[in-house]
Amino acid sequence: MFTKKNIAILVVVILLIGTMALLSNRRSSDTAEDNGATTDGVTTIRVAAFPDQDSGFEAILDDFHAEHPHIKVELDINDFDNHHQALLTQIAAGSNVPDVANIEIQFVGDFVNRGGFVNLLEEPYNAGEFEDDIIPYKWAQGTNEATGELIAMPLDVAPGTIFYRRDRFEELGVDVEDLNTLEDWIEVGLEFTEGEDDRWLFPDAAIIYEMVRRSGEEQFFDNDGNPIVTSDKFVRAFELAKQIRDLGLDGQIGEWSNEWYATFEEGTALAHASGAWLGGHIQNWMAPETAGKWGVTNLPDDMYVNWGGSFLAIPEDAQNKEAAWEFIEYVTTNVDVQINQFEAANIFPALVDAFDHEVFEESSDFYSGQNVRQFWLDSAKKVPAVNTNRYDTIAQDAVGAALTEVLEEDKDIMEALEEAETLIKRRMR
Amino acid sequence: MNSSDIKTNKVTSDKTKNKKTDRFRLSIKSAPYVFISPFFILFLIFGVFPILYSFFLSFHSWDGIGQMEFVGLSNYAYVLNDDWFWESVKNTFIIFILTTIPQHIIALSLAFVLNSGFVKMKEFFRGSYFLPYITSAVAIALVFDVILGHRSGLLNAILIQLETLPPFAFLFDSVGLDLPVRWLAEARWIRFSIAGLVTWRFTGWNMLIYFAGLQNIPNSLYEAAEIDGANKRQVFTNVTLPLLRPMIFFGVTMSIIGNLQLFEEPFILVGGDGGAGRAGMTTAMYLFRTGFHWRQFGEGSAMAYILAIFIVILSLASRKIFHKENDL
Amino acid sequence: MKNSIRGSIKKSLLYIVLFLGVLITFFPFFYMFVLATRSRAEIFSSTQTLWFGDHFINNLQILRDSVPIFRNLFNSIFVATIGTAFTMFFCALGGYGFAKYDFKWKDKLFFAMLATMMIPGLLSIIPWFIMMNYFGWMDTFYPFIIPGIANAFGIFLMRQFMESIPGDIIDAARIDGCGEFEIFCRIILPISKTGLSALGILTFLGSWNALMGPLLILQSEEMWTLPVALTRLADSAGVDYGATMVGASIAVVPIIVVFVIGSKKFMAGMLEGATKG
Repeated sequence: MFTKKNIAILVVVILLIGTMALLSNRRSSDTAEDNGATTDGVTTIRVAAFPDQDSGFEAILDDFHAEHPHIKVELDINDFDNHHQALLTQIAAGSNVPDVANIEIQFVGDFVNRGGFVNLLEEPYNAGEFEDDIIPYKWAQGTNEATGELIAMPLDVAPGTIFYRRDRFEELGVDVEDLNTLEDWIEVGLEFTEGEDDRWLFPDAAIIYEMVRRSGEEQFFDNDGNPIVTSDKFVRAFELAKQIRDLGLDGQIGEWSNEWYATFEEGTALAHASGAWLGGHIQNWMAPETAGKWGVTNLPDDMYVNWGGSFLAIPEDAQNKEAAWEFIEYVTTNVDVQINQFEAANIFPALVDAFDHEVFEESSDFYSGQNVRQFWLDSAKKVPAVNTNRYDTIAQDAVGAALTEVLEEDKDIMEALEEAETLIKRRMR
Repeated sequence: MNSSDIKTNKVTSDKTKNKKTDRFRLSIKSAPYVFISPFFILFLIFGVFPILYSFFLSFHSWDGIGQMEFVGLSNYAYVLNDDWFWESVKNTFIIFILTTIPQHIIALSLAFVLNSGFVKMKEFFRGSYFLPYITSAVAIALVFDVILGHRSGLLNAILIQLETLPPFAFLFDSVGLDLPVRWLAEARWIRFSIAGLVTWRFTGWNMLIYFAGLQNIPNSLYEAAEIDGANKRQVFTNVTLPLLRPMIFFGVTMSIIGNLQLFEEPFILVGGDGGAGRAGMTTAMYLFRTGFHWRQFGEGSAMAYILAIFIVILSLASRKIFHKENDL
Repeated sequence: MKNSIRGSIKKSLLYIVLFLGVLITFFPFFYMFVLATRSRAEIFSSTQTLWFGDHFINNLQILRDSVPIFRNLFNSIFVATIGTAFTMFFCALGGYGFAKYDFKWKDKLFFAMLATMMIPGLLSIIPWFIMMNYFGWMDTFYPFIIPGIANAFGIFLMRQFMESIPGDIIDAARIDGCGEFEIFCRIILPISKTGLSALGILTFLGSWNALMGPLLILQSEEMWTLPVALTRLADSAGVDYGATMVGASIAVVPIIVVFVIGSKKFMAGMLEGATKG
């Protein structure tokens, strides 16, 4: 009579205990792992990054481990948005924080001014000794405006560039060297797309806006922190994008979509504008079989822009801060290490000395023998000292939305930009 | 009630007898409290407290890292003056209308047909239609993502084939369908795409609710109607529909609550930013973005309260429309 | 005669419509399996593929290189099973308390609980997140198991089912000397099978499909549930869509199999649940 009851209770108890055991199992094993790792002399640090930075890290990890046998690096890779999103959550929660956080330029203003990371100028990091070795504007971007603390150590810069299909230009009989202004590009674009349904100058007209808005020192905000999204630069960026769309020169194919990748493989878009790092993506996985068909040239109208680049920071709640700094110091302040990352995935050095390395004299087969490295180096040197702001991500959202309205719904450009400005100002509080 | 009182007495006396033999034995007085207390304790912690805390947060400005600051009603003012918030409300309602109406009409007809006895393989059909409801929203949204693709999507490929037939060409022309359609990249189509996916997923669920309702209608009522010479359509409109009112109320209310919180489907189909022109940004997604992307916990909480008020108002409205006073 | 011909035409039309509906329902699943066997180039080329290809093994390999998918599957099963078991037990307990006892504040408590069902779950997502963080439950499964016990809908559903249990049985048991908890375990639970299974199915499905909560809480990939893993997969550039579809199939197939096997009971439970709810 009581057996059934007992069985029922027993089942419940087992369930309870089992659950608790299984649930806490992970946590205890986690800490055991951490402790165990330090007791046998090897500290495991977690480096959180986004693609294709991981290719750069992977290329130098063996050397790092050889030189720092007491540290083991674990890479934690998430796609661009999720990586930064997760980072934000982890910093806020103070749980599961990585030891080293890779931060892209779009987010750096936000993270640097938000708090939750250590000041790298302090003991035991003493990053200040490297200040003269790093590109000055990158150093400024990694610094908290109010306190002057260095939060994010510059890892790489990204000169903006155009990747074009050499084979298509040959078919057209046009020499890319003759293209200097956006008008020239439009002319070639019209020739390329004429009478064709699935041929475009660029995959998406928005890329024109991206080019123009990145030009100049001040990006979304002026150096006093006021939004400048209704300035001439943005109006022009919108007008040009609109012009490209109206002429039917773009395929309305958004970046990082599956159809976008197809344009690289099939050569349906004549050109792509991006940071030099995109070359790594094209070569490594997007369209490796198109080797030899690519060429690189400057943005039109003598625009030299910064298009990407990233930083490394140590969260305050990180468990192994010193080991984390050893890693950061290794990857950001050694010429050879910076060059190795560059060779692996076009991760362009932020370390000034690295620019003199002989690797920049080598030409590349993927670009049919063009010396793209020297080319990018020259453009990198011409990039002005771009600024960042803690509301960059919000501005990017708001202006991006305004552009969609202009391109898709024929909204008046000034009206759209003013609305975006209002939205940005409302969130800056 | 009376009889149970007597029984209670009897049992209590029975209980006193056994008291010594089992110290852990629950008395009939304390048993209900013990039984409902695990629920209520957890409910206070995880159900009630967050609701109150959300109320508290809605009067503060906080990003989860820095200092919390009291800002009075300004979060509410902020949300109510936020164009993007109202756009998200608009999107939500358009998607709600686009999906709820077909969902319930199809579900009701299916339930009626499957209940009416002249269809064989009832269980097969019922099970099949219900299948979408039980499967993972994320997995299915990913498939729809491919089907609805612009240049490589299956739906466009089919439509392009159909366009070669004159009647379809005319039809497409008249609704302004410009092939290939950018189902997930053009503001005006995004809402249709999301509504389509939601309809596909939840029609079976509503069918089941209506089916359950139909089974509760006694056959004698139908027979009586048939004796009175009513045909199938008349039976449906005069007997079935009125009797199904509470079920329709339940179904529509569930749809309101579900749709205003629509998250997974648009999140996967168009991404967290709502896609082109934010046409796919539902209020739930906007709340998620405000809270967890921009870290505006205070504004997000105010938004949640405003959304909750909408849901309550709509649920009451649905009660007014579909409920007769004497029901329930 | 004329009537019967018209009738049969009508009937066949009806069947055509019904089967068309089945086709629309089944097709996305079929297409998912097809895509799981195709390479990215094949999926996004302009020629359509409607039959299985030979990239399944390859896709599975890519999938396993990208995420610990079987660990994610295990996580999903684990969270859903344990969470459902807890919810079923405690909701039955609470529902029984409400259905078969008289006590002070009973109606008020029950009404208060019902009232909270009107409040959308979204309302508490931000404080919920802050609380989970405060409890140190980030990146653990607790947030999907413990709070789920406080399921107002579950209590409501179970009360509806248990109302109809005749009081005589309970009284008879009491006379036999059974304790209150024993009555619950020995008598009430077994005869509430239909209700429990309806609640269990709904809870299980809810947990299996949940995205927003897990997306916020589960940070490391070994802790992801299937929906989170799929979302991350779809977001990450460079993972073949075919591989993502293999993942989607892994999320869908177990449920379909269970559904097909237990379809009759499943539908009966759901029907009953829908009526009572």
